Amino acid sequence: MLAWRLLWRNWRSGEVRILASALLLAVAVVTAVAVFAERMERSLTRESNSYLAADRVVEGRLPIPDEWLIEPERFLLRQAQLAEFSSMVFAGDEMVLASLKAVDEGYPLRGELEISTTPFATGSDVVITRAIPARGEAWVDSRLLPQLGLSLGDQLQVGELTLTIRQLVIREPDGNRGFSVMGPRVMINLADLPATEVIQPGSRVNYRWLLAGEERDLNRFTEWLAPQLGAHYRPLTLKEAQQGLGEALNRGGSFLMLAGMIGVLLAGVAIAIAARQFAERHIDQVALMKSLGVSASKVRWLYSAQLLLLALIAAIGGCLLGELFQRLIALTIASLVRVELVSAGPYGYLVGAATGLLCLLCFALPPLWHLPRVSPLKVLRRELTVKAVDLWARGLLGVVAVVGLIGLYSRDLKLTLAVVAGLLAVLVVGGGCAWLLLRLGRGIGRSAGSVWRLALANLERQPQQSITQMLVFGAALMLLMVLFTVRTSLIEQWRLQLPADAANHFLLNIAPHEVEPVKALLAERGISANSLYPMVLGRIVAINGAPITEEMRPKSNALRRELNLSWAERFGDDNKLVSGDWWDRWQSRQAGSHGVSVEQETAAELGLQLGDRLTFSLGGLELEAEVASLRTLDWNSMRPNFYFLFSPGALDGFSPNYMTSIHVPAGGKLLINDLLRSHPTLVVIEIDRIIERIRTIVDQVGKGIELVLWLVLVGGVLVLVAAVNASMAARMQDSGILRALGSGRRLILGSIGLEFAALGLFAGLLAVFGAEALLLGLQQLVFEQQASPHWWLWVAGPVGGALFIGMLGLIACRRVVTVSPWVVLRDLQG
Amino acid sequence: MMIVAHQLAKRVTTAEGPLTILDEVSLEVAAGDSLAIVGASGSGKSTLLGILAGLDGASSGTIRLAQHELSALDEEGRARVRAELVGFVFQSFQLLPGLTALENVMMPLELHGKPEPRARAESYLQRVGLSHRLHHYPRQLSGGEQQRVAIARAFASEPKVLFADEPTGNLDSATGARIIELLFELNAAQGTTLILVTHEARLAQRCRRQLTLEAGQVVGLTGAPVGEPVYLAPAAGAR
Repeated sequence: MLAWRLLWRNWRSGEVRILASALLLAVAVVTAVAVFAERMERSLTRESNSYLAADRVVEGRLPIPDEWLIEPERFLLRQAQLAEFSSMVFAGDEMVLASLKAVDEGYPLRGELEISTTPFATGSDVVITRAIPARGEAWVDSRLLPQLGLSLGDQLQVGELTLTIRQLVIREPDGNRGFSVMGPRVMINLADLPATEVIQPGSRVNYRWLLAGEERDLNRFTEWLAPQLGAHYRPLTLKEAQQGLGEALNRGGSFLMLAGMIGVLLAGVAIAIAARQFAERHIDQVALMKSLGVSASKVRWLYSAQLLLLALIAAIGGCLLGELFQRLIALTIASLVRVELVSAGPYGYLVGAATGLLCLLCFALPPLWHLPRVSPLKVLRRELTVKAVDLWARGLLGVVAVVGLIGLYSRDLKLTLAVVAGLLAVLVVGGGCAWLLLRLGRGIGRSAGSVWRLALANLERQPQQSITQMLVFGAALMLLMVLFTVRTSLIEQWRLQLPADAANHFLLNIAPHEVEPVKALLAERGISANSLYPMVLGRIVAINGAPITEEMRPKSNALRRELNLSWAERFGDDNKLVSGDWWDRWQSRQAGSHGVSVEQETAAELGLQLGDRLTFSLGGLELEAEVASLRTLDWNSMRPNFYFLFSPGALDGFSPNYMTSIHVPAGGKLLINDLLRSHPTLVVIEIDRIIERIRTIVDQVGKGIELVLWLVLVGGVLVLVAAVNASMAARMQDSGILRALGSGRRLILGSIGLEFAALGLFAGLLAVFGAEALLLGLQQLVFEQQASPHWWLWVAGPVGGALFIGMLGLIACRRVVTVSPWVVLRDLQG
Repeated sequence: MMIVAHQLAKRVTTAEGPLTILDEVSLEVAAGDSLAIVGASGSGKSTLLGILAGLDGASSGTIRLAQHELSALDEEGRARVRAELVGFVFQSFQLLPGLTALENVMMPLELHGKPEPRARAESYLQRVGLSHRLHHYPRQLSGGEQQRVAIARAFASEPKVLFADEPTGNLDSATGARIIELLFELNAAQGTTLILVTHEARLAQRCRRQLTLEAGQVVGLTGAPVGEPVYLAPAAGAR
């Protein structure tokens, strides 16, 4: 109760306000960022789940056993089943190889099925449905109609069953399964499947079991299911379903994490400064309390209790404020990109509250630790000095706090150590530079006018304090610069990655004789195609002569399905060679053997080394090739990419088809209809909706980043205000004396302004050095961006630092010229 | 005896070598008596006051405050004795700038868990003539008013011994005179033992005894001797 009263009085007298504000801000920033990031992550997971059409999917080559189907209910989960396979479909004499999908009630469990009665519909013609095709009905891809010369309501023959086309499938949530699904979609009711009689023993059917429910229940269910999956079934992972959407978002997530971390560090610095100031102001109070007979242990208890109360208030207030911030961010985003964010769990709030406590323990406690040891004799002898906690001990605690906070936040040891090492290096090197700059400043000051001389003499008089301030200002400016730069280059990168004219359709199965007509048609419509890539379908049948067995298939997707094989003289700039040689330098171990370049992850899944021999089956013919190199691919580039690229000439005898990617502008969709009408065997894969989705999400992350940046900026300003305030008393006293001695406003304000501006200038210089170093590390390690110097920082840092800090100093010190010097001096004595 | 000090010495080590601040000072003060410690700046007055009040330990010698052997106690022990027996008035008032006059007076009462701190503080502020200034902050009060708040704070805890360090040192003579009146008035009313350090003759004369220090040694004792001695001349210091 007493601690509560003391805290209240300290608050009222303004002594804990900066400390409390810094603490509140630390908790609020962390809570806001953590909760917002979690909401984004959850939304993206749900978004990703919609690519699965479920929360979990089990796929197999056999139907899901009946005894499994009764289990989901026990685990409170919803379920649906589907079967997917390729089959010929007929309309009169016409036939097409279609991709059949038989679904049952409930599909899709996540995401939305979009249908229409208008071919290639967009906008208001598209209907979102919860229904599935009724028995006897087929819902088909728009492109099937021109291929078979059909219209809605016509009959379609699938095996032994005749179905009526009732709807056109515009978009399936789980429709983006790469190029393995080649033919136009025909969706039917699962109950109709037996009547088609197309599934015979040995047919290649992909059965999928969709499950949805609460995460906890899903995990319990997965635990139950895992041991029973055996060789025929496997869980389908998000990564496979998502097809490389994640990269950009991971970077967005990393940025949010970095921003939160920087926010916490800034708030931590503000807390440390404010706590130090608080401790200095309380030395007299503690001496008085002790002279009145309050024991050291009681003093310690009273101050600890105040800190704990403060932590509690900051935790509650900060969480509420953080909640408000993140709602504001979510609201702004929602209004911009029409995305509903999923609500977050308790983790973000817990991290926020823990941050408050950790900040207090590590940043605020050390400066206050010596308070109980203040001698009561100080009431009589003011000149007695108080021995503070050793600098190294405080430094150590500071490092522990920074490691703890960053660790807690990023849960990434490498990143934590990198940032801490960077900060320490900046402090040590920066300290040395700050000292040099001060010396330099003195040289300049001697030959300058009185205002300059006074300002620089002030800085040099207390070098330790000036250096500390310079480092604090520098660190704050550095962190803000880093954040601002990373954000700018990230958004720029996204913009480059997904330019407005990014390819949004893939054209496959272009026969050699169709290449020129297709090119001509595209040119006629003003559409430029990327290069045409030859493509042959094939399967891997042996590795180093050993045939692929059923047990090996679950190891890699590359063993389970037909692969798109291609060759190339050169590889695109979205490919990177990681080992081996490209064709111009490669030499086969066996004379005359063909070479194949394999995507790195696929090679790892298959356990391939350079020089291994792969045997492919291409339309019944076998082809052997030696692994010549390994590559990484950037799937985000939206250009055709291949897991297996052969040496030129290797596929010559296998009658390739061609593929390319094109950008069809909005409203130009009818081109697809025309293309298919004139080239019915062409396969078109539409990714425009996926691209639109990625853009939406990137926009969403981008706007979130923008708002978080502003939030952290407030933290930075708070640090600067705290640091300026901390040195205010001494400056006020000096200025009070100067004024009492008759110095004019101009001289005093001029020297204060210059003093802070000089501090800001030096700090800005240090900050630029530090920021460039940190950016180099971050861009290479975390954001995988090209690192290059940021010339504008070299101007903006020092100039901005001088202007901003000079202004802050003037605002904080304005009282010295507006109030009579007598009052200033008396207040300082009181 | 309220205070019995025997051969108190205070020595410190400085850059120029050891320095003796107090040298073999012995004295006794009876309960309810008053003693002024006078001397030039640097004579050791404040050091002696600090040791007598238990704010600081002596390098050698013994000191007893009421029944407590201060020289045998550590800081925590001395703090308990101060809490029970001692009050202070300082030259620089030592009011907490963030607290109102009332809160400044309430603070020691609250710290020691005394009952009804507010009512008691109000009553003492009324006794020092500041009932209209209860909610003013120190910076809104004149020097004399601030010292009156400090006096109210010192007496509100009803200490057995009051130590005052240059209580009028920061005040003009008229204000100082009023403060002296107040101090002795309350002292008489509560029967407090008063030890004060001053270089103001007028204030020193109000005490029953005046002890003069010079370079850490007792060089004189004046005042009316009654009944019991307030000063035992040490062998070395009896000049």
